[in-house]
Amino acid sequence: MPLLQWKSAYSLGIPSVDHEHRELIGMINEVYDHMEDAADPVAIESCLEDIYASIASHFALEERHMREARYTEYDAHKDEHENLLDQLLEMMDEFADDPQSGRETLRKSLADWFGIHFATFDARLHESLGDHHG
Amino acid sequence: MLKGVQIAGQLVFDPLRRLLDRGFGHRLNPLNFLGALTIYFFWIVLVSGIWLFIFFKTSVAGAYESVEYLTHEQWYLGGVMRSLHRYASDAAIITLALHMIKEFLYDRHRGNRWFSWVTGVPLLWLVIPLGITGYWLVWDQLAWYVALTSAELLDWLPIFSESMARNFLSDEVLSDRFFTLMAFLHLIGLPLFLVFGIWLHVLRINGPRINPPRALMAGSLIAMTVLSVAYPALSQGEVDMTTVPSSLGLDWYYLLVYPLMKHWSPGWVWGLLTGTSLLLFVAPWMPAQRNRASAIVDLDNCNGCARCADDCPFGAITMMERSDGKAYETEAVVDPALCMSCGICTGSCPTATPFRRHSVLSPGIDSPDMTAAALREKLLEDSDKLEGTHRIIVFSCRDHAQSARLKSRLDDAQTMTVAIICAGQLPPPFIDFALSRDLADGVVLAGCPGGDCQYRLGADWTALRVARQRDPHLRKRVESNRVALGWQEPWSACGDVSGIVAALRESLPVGTGGTAGIPSSRRNPWRVPVTAFVYVAFAVMVGWLSVWPRFQLIDEGNAMISLSFSYAGQRIRECRQLTQEELNRLAPNMRKPQDCPRERLPIRVVLSSNGDTLYEDIKRPTGLWKDGSANIYKRLTVAGRSQKLFIGMNESGQSPEFDFVLEQEVDLAPGEHLVVEFDDIQKSFVFKQD
Repeated sequence: MPLLQWKSAYSLGIPSVDHEHRELIGMINEVYDHMEDAADPVAIESCLEDIYASIASHFALEERHMREARYTEYDAHKDEHENLLDQLLEMMDEFADDPQSGRETLRKSLADWFGIHFATFDARLHESLGDHHG
Repeated sequence: MLKGVQIAGQLVFDPLRRLLDRGFGHRLNPLNFLGALTIYFFWIVLVSGIWLFIFFKTSVAGAYESVEYLTHEQWYLGGVMRSLHRYASDAAIITLALHMIKEFLYDRHRGNRWFSWVTGVPLLWLVIPLGITGYWLVWDQLAWYVALTSAELLDWLPIFSESMARNFLSDEVLSDRFFTLMAFLHLIGLPLFLVFGIWLHVLRINGPRINPPRALMAGSLIAMTVLSVAYPALSQGEVDMTTVPSSLGLDWYYLLVYPLMKHWSPGWVWGLLTGTSLLLFVAPWMPAQRNRASAIVDLDNCNGCARCADDCPFGAITMMERSDGKAYETEAVVDPALCMSCGICTGSCPTATPFRRHSVLSPGIDSPDMTAAALREKLLEDSDKLEGTHRIIVFSCRDHAQSARLKSRLDDAQTMTVAIICAGQLPPPFIDFALSRDLADGVVLAGCPGGDCQYRLGADWTALRVARQRDPHLRKRVESNRVALGWQEPWSACGDVSGIVAALRESLPVGTGGTAGIPSSRRNPWRVPVTAFVYVAFAVMVGWLSVWPRFQLIDEGNAMISLSFSYAGQRIRECRQLTQEELNRLAPNMRKPQDCPRERLPIRVVLSSNGDTLYEDIKRPTGLWKDGSANIYKRLTVAGRSQKLFIGMNESGQSPEFDFVLEQEVDLAPGEHLVVEFDDIQKSFVFKQD
């Protein structure tokens, strides 16, 4: 069973954001698959770099929708986005420096890194926006 | 050749900007807010104008008197308002002129920016007449001169069949209607078009600066108010049309071309004005700017986040409905007719991250001229050659004149210059990349001097992105003491870019972490003297040229003669009495007893003094059918003394005989104004003196 799973309850009702959430879940699951396979570090690194670019633009899009919907918790959510980007870069650096221990860190924290944000911040956003958009 | 003018102009402008940067700092440098300052001065004009309008009497008799009341009885408020009204409108001309000159000198009027330039030119044709009608309304001696000269200018145009200037030769003919007309133009007509024109002028650009910073607003308002109190605007004597004022204090900001009318025909003045305007209109295509490739959107990497549309300084990007069937709502679309190819959009794109070793770096929006991937390549290749522990990479704007020289001056074993299109083109992750991947120990973003970005907002956006106040944020792990923005405090105090590089190198933390050794932002000793000097110089310049140098309408010892009348010349042939037979052939309702030709002959007029001909001309009848009166209007200057004045008119053109003459010894004192009129009832000429 994949590590993270998309549930329709996660839907914000914004097709593009939902679509990217699904894509990101797929990408993170893929990294885990690679790690399970003990694949070559280059493949993992390359996945992480793609995740970084995708998530940076995903956050940008989500922020646009939050601003347009005048989401009241925008600032906190935005700060969290910036933190997540900082953390991902750290994980990437650690992996590049030392693939062995980096792999451990990733295994431990990557799912949480995205999963917790998804369960808390995005869930709150869902409550606020989801209903209005059906 | 224009390129030469631009370079020469920059040699003058650059030191001025540096001086003002020293005093005001780049965030308050008035030269970065010239357009906004012009609009601000118009706000002052508007507010003070409303006050003046409350007390102004729109009539020949009331105008001068009501303005005098305001100036002297209510000097503490009305007088100050009047002075502010004048000085702020003069100040607006200074900032407006500098605004135009600067945009031209720094080549910001060409290419896809032509629209803002071209829509700016007609604003001159609204602003200058606004000032002229304003001077007219005061109805002092200057107003009389302005009215007379304006009317002479307008009379040259084939619009009016009667001479308009004739209305301003004697008191009896001047009517209150003229003041209603002027008040309408000055208060409603022209301002309405001006507001519309300004809207059009800034229509195409994104986030135009409409308001200058508060400190500048306060400073210039104080400067204008002090000037108003110390040196109030005054009327220049009540109008007396029987005399000519010896000299007038002229507002050169608005009446610059009027003195030309003393020696030039109105046609030449119109030629000068329209010629200059045409030249300004075509300036963006002299020569046309070679269009660089516009930004290109890569839909595979665009999710419609709209950051590029928000950041584009020229409004060239719009978010449109998705065209590729992907699950996104919108996509960025670039209008090539607006894109200036500055790359600021790439700098804003969240996908423009160089942290990609294995996949292709293809941001959602990119400049074909210099792609993000190429930039990354260059960075990786060239930084390899850097040595030592104090390696610095300088990103310098390619289009700024300075950048060409920078590379040869700066590059050495531990310094490397990378040319980019605009500081705003550099996505912040590139700074992070250069430092975290250990390509360099410090990064300098040179930018346009003083943060006066060639592409309007590149420097501002970069500063905000680096300060993590605008997307995309520079990552927190980047130590601020490893990055210098050349135009920002405290680095701007380091002089030029090599100074900034040296200062940054000096202050680089050794190893990781460590505290900042950035030059401390100590008190700026230049601030007070420079700002004080600039405000005083500005106020003096405003006050000075608004009355000085004085203009002499007629030379010392001379008097003025105005020749002003209209006369219907002889018909080309005599009227013929129709015979009874001819009348019978006509329809009963058309039986005019006489058959008269409509066309008239021209009239010949000669004016001489003591036998010397002052004026001689043949005037054709007006009207499409040449059936109207011929108009004579001419202002002449003669020696002010007693003289035998002769006027003769022949009503059938060529013949040397005169049908009407008047010869009279007149005592014409220097400065006196005599009007030669033709009395239609008495059928005789009159020399009108006071």
